[in-house]
Amino acid sequence: MTRKLPEAYAWLSDDVREVLFSSETLQQRVHELGAAISRDYAGRNPLLVGVLKGVVFFMADLLRAITVPVEVDFIAVSSYTPEARAQGIVRLAKDLETPLAGRHVLFVEDVIDTGLTLSYLLRNLRARQPASLEVCALFDKPAHRLINIPLRYKGFDLPDRFVVGYGLDYQERYRHLPFVGVLRAQALI
Amino acid sequence: MSNPERRVPAFAHPAEEMFARILDFYGVAWEYEPRTFPLEWDEQGNVTEAFTPDFYLPDQDLYVELTTLRPRLASHKNRRLRRMKELYPDINVKLFKRREMRDLMLKYGLLQEAGRIQGTAAQPPSKDHDPETA
Repeated sequence: MTRKLPEAYAWLSDDVREVLFSSETLQQRVHELGAAISRDYAGRNPLLVGVLKGVVFFMADLLRAITVPVEVDFIAVSSYTPEARAQGIVRLAKDLETPLAGRHVLFVEDVIDTGLTLSYLLRNLRARQPASLEVCALFDKPAHRLINIPLRYKGFDLPDRFVVGYGLDYQERYRHLPFVGVLRAQALI
Repeated sequence: MSNPERRVPAFAHPAEEMFARILDFYGVAWEYEPRTFPLEWDEQGNVTEAFTPDFYLPDQDLYVELTTLRPRLASHKNRRLRRMKELYPDINVKLFKRREMRDLMLKYGLLQEAGRIQGTAAQPPSKDHDPETA
């Protein structure tokens, strides 16, 4: 179901065409995911790992929806910038501070589309010999998938549109929106 | 990882080269146009139409076809992909359409390249002797 922009965000109407997921819809689904994770990981002290920066909004809400003991850590990878391209291959810009060996690790992502970044990170994390390694994604864009990645938890499927908000950005803009909206074509490039 | 022979093939379109570089960046193995699939034959059994997907990702057992054609020009390619699925149902082919290609470029910060996709109507003639294909 789509909606108009909330009144406070009317200034965005030239950029954002419609609201795809309202703040309330997002929060409800995040709480459902938190409840499922609490049930499945009870007594396992899971470590939630997120890749910066887009995931911070989802991670913060998800953590508060989890009712069992849990820890969190973040990792960052080099973006596909001209400088990084010159180096030839993706690199960790910030590593985890927590050893993974023997831990039950839940990798938390805001959105999975091609799966290229996540595939690289999962290979990296798996080499650290966690007791288990699963994936929780709030948004899945299967139309773009190149690498098949099993998702233990999934929030929503995304249509083949350029969407922003709740951590999703376009050139670092719109991350702060509490809803997810569809960006107008003229706002791109 | 990536292109095992590390030789840069002669890509038919700049978008293909960019796609290959992105795969390399993330350490994904790929091959360029490794296989041609016959689609139509004449009465003598000669192949009259064939389809050569742009990329093969061996670790995913996935063929990838890229297009920057506007949707109204892509009908022939779509028809051939449907025919491909009829004849080779066990072969996985993923089509990256024009908008998906643009979004991919935007996602990886390739704004100029995305702008070029946005601004072009079609692509150069391809290997399959089809003026609408890339």
